[in-house]
Amino acid sequence: MSALNTRVSILALACAVSSYSVMAEDSSLTNPNVSAVLDGYYQTGDRPLAERAEGFGLGETELALSANIDEMFYGKVTAIIESHDGETELNLEEAFIQTLAMPYGLSVRAGRFLSDIGYLNNQHLHTDSFSDRPAAYRAFLGGHYFDDGIRLNYVAPTDLYWTLGVEAFKGESLRAADAHGERDFDNLGVYSALTKMGGDIGIESSWQLGLSYLRNQNGQAYAEDEHNEEEEGHDEEHAGHSHSASYTGKNTYIADVVYKWAPNGNYKYQNLTVSGEYFRVTDIFAMEPGHIVEADHEDISSDDYHQGWYVSSVYQFSPRWSAGIRYGQVDTYEVHGDHLHPQQLKESEVSLAWHSSHFSTVRLQYTHQTGTNFDGFEDDNILTLQYVMSLGAHGAHQY
Amino acid sequence: MRINTKLLLAVASMSLLFTATAQAELNVFACEPEYAALTLALAPDAKVYSATTAMQDPHQVQARPSLIAKMRQADVVVCAGADLEIGWLPMLQMKSANPQVRSTDKGLFFAAEHIDTLDKLASVDRSMGDVHAKGNPHLHLDPQRMLIVAQALSTKFTQIDPDNASLYRQSLADFSQAWQAKIPQWQQQAKDLAGKKVIAYHSSFRYLFKWIGIEQVADLEPKPGIAPTSSHLASLLARAEKGDVMAIIVASYQDERGAKWLGERANLPVLVLPISVGGNEESKDLISLYDSILSLLNKVK
Repeated sequence: MSALNTRVSILALACAVSSYSVMAEDSSLTNPNVSAVLDGYYQTGDRPLAERAEGFGLGETELALSANIDEMFYGKVTAIIESHDGETELNLEEAFIQTLAMPYGLSVRAGRFLSDIGYLNNQHLHTDSFSDRPAAYRAFLGGHYFDDGIRLNYVAPTDLYWTLGVEAFKGESLRAADAHGERDFDNLGVYSALTKMGGDIGIESSWQLGLSYLRNQNGQAYAEDEHNEEEEGHDEEHAGHSHSASYTGKNTYIADVVYKWAPNGNYKYQNLTVSGEYFRVTDIFAMEPGHIVEADHEDISSDDYHQGWYVSSVYQFSPRWSAGIRYGQVDTYEVHGDHLHPQQLKESEVSLAWHSSHFSTVRLQYTHQTGTNFDGFEDDNILTLQYVMSLGAHGAHQY
Repeated sequence: MRINTKLLLAVASMSLLFTATAQAELNVFACEPEYAALTLALAPDAKVYSATTAMQDPHQVQARPSLIAKMRQADVVVCAGADLEIGWLPMLQMKSANPQVRSTDKGLFFAAEHIDTLDKLASVDRSMGDVHAKGNPHLHLDPQRMLIVAQALSTKFTQIDPDNASLYRQSLADFSQAWQAKIPQWQQQAKDLAGKKVIAYHSSFRYLFKWIGIEQVADLEPKPGIAPTSSHLASLLARAEKGDVMAIIVASYQDERGAKWLGERANLPVLVLPISVGGNEESKDLISLYDSILSLLNKVK
């Protein structure tokens, strides 16, 4: 018995030592990657649906912890501290595990994580080249869409990069507005399917194309009989802070494209990134089940859809300086009682950033926004001065 | 009829043979071109892909789609290590979902793990710049260390692909013999360079300089990873004007502008050395890389 015990404990010791030697090179349980991101700004106005408000403020302060859990699993926790209107909120943006050892290019991610749809969505806000996400992201995904769910991903063994993913989420933040609070929402609300492919063009250029489809069981908004109640519900949503999408529908289609270039393919000194995405959200509106459609409600058409897009170009002309331009717009509908009002928001933006090192950025951004029926936003010029800095271990950047 | 059967058998066995070799072909992903070159020397039949060229700074590489696709198919991933690739390799490993190359127990190989790196640091602070606690990772320009790395890499190939063990053993023997024959020649060429002083960009040639006995008296970077600033270059001008500096040296993937500015004012030659295979026309493999570096250095001594 004691011999057995000794043998077992020697085995355990050997395992411990060997696993330590494997993990020592990377983060391990005794040495996980710990990082924080600091983000502060001053801004001269408000952008609709954006996180940042006029005046001094803090963006998302991010605290992240990640490590390989063992040979089979990787785990990450990202907590977000936000303050809005004098209140400090602690949110969990990521808390997921991912498999490391599945065969055939498969992997599973489970827990709370950023959906892989679109190009920007799986990237953290602090890596963006502009102070806010494009209007399309703010309108249709609540800035960036993270949720509780599961993803299965496959990478093909081909020289042309090709990946396929399917996701299922709770979908609470993408639910349609529910003014009465009595709608019976599906608690498995969102499914998505996505594919990305990409490659190089010579030594200097690379590209990626993505197509995503998101099915939102709770995305279709219902018509309201009481005009006033809807208005109240809407106002509440805008006044309070929320990561929820403001414009939802049953089906969302996203196409994205990214192109990057650097002289000789050397990204250290100069490089260019051009990216663009197009969103179409369909089946946005329905009559409440059981509701009798009256003859004069003809302006509700099942063909109505929200759409949005942006194109952005960022050039790093020296290790310390980069500049970007971005144009984006959204064409949406707002539910007013039992009919839809078309709205539009256009944003033209220019940003200039100074990087003292790879880990700190000070950015000046100018936005010209033009709104039509867009919550009172008509014709504004906004300046934002922002810093984004990271400390501690800094994870590798995505493409 | 008999002949036909024989022919058929021969054709069948030939195609079998070809499939067998095609399957046995080791697929190697090298992070830097020096390790692609070493792989080609040690595993001549391998399919080798280099993630970077000698014109690309390996500190800053995009974890781009093509690299994910290549890593997905790799049997072995060969990198310098010591955190040189920390900004992109972990992302490639995560995205490529290839468990074969995830840990150094299997198909992952870090050269720096097999030798003593120079300039290890007990503690690292970001205010020091982009430094590596695990020591300087640019170790491939020290012939003795490279020989040890070659032995370890050959062992890795044998571990992953034991069927071709004899091929790897033979290739290592051939490489070691050629390499050891070159070392005295290189030492002869480097004799007059010992004791010379240079100003260089980053610590990219740290191992080369130590081996030859060249002293790097100043760095074009104010701090590791931080590009030269005008105020820093101005301070270097005072140092350069002392008159004891042989040349200003930059690697093939580094920006020459700061070096040229300083070189013009201090009247010093600016030398762009190939950091790796492919860094200039002459550097076609590791041996010709060393040959080229030494001959370029000898031209400015």
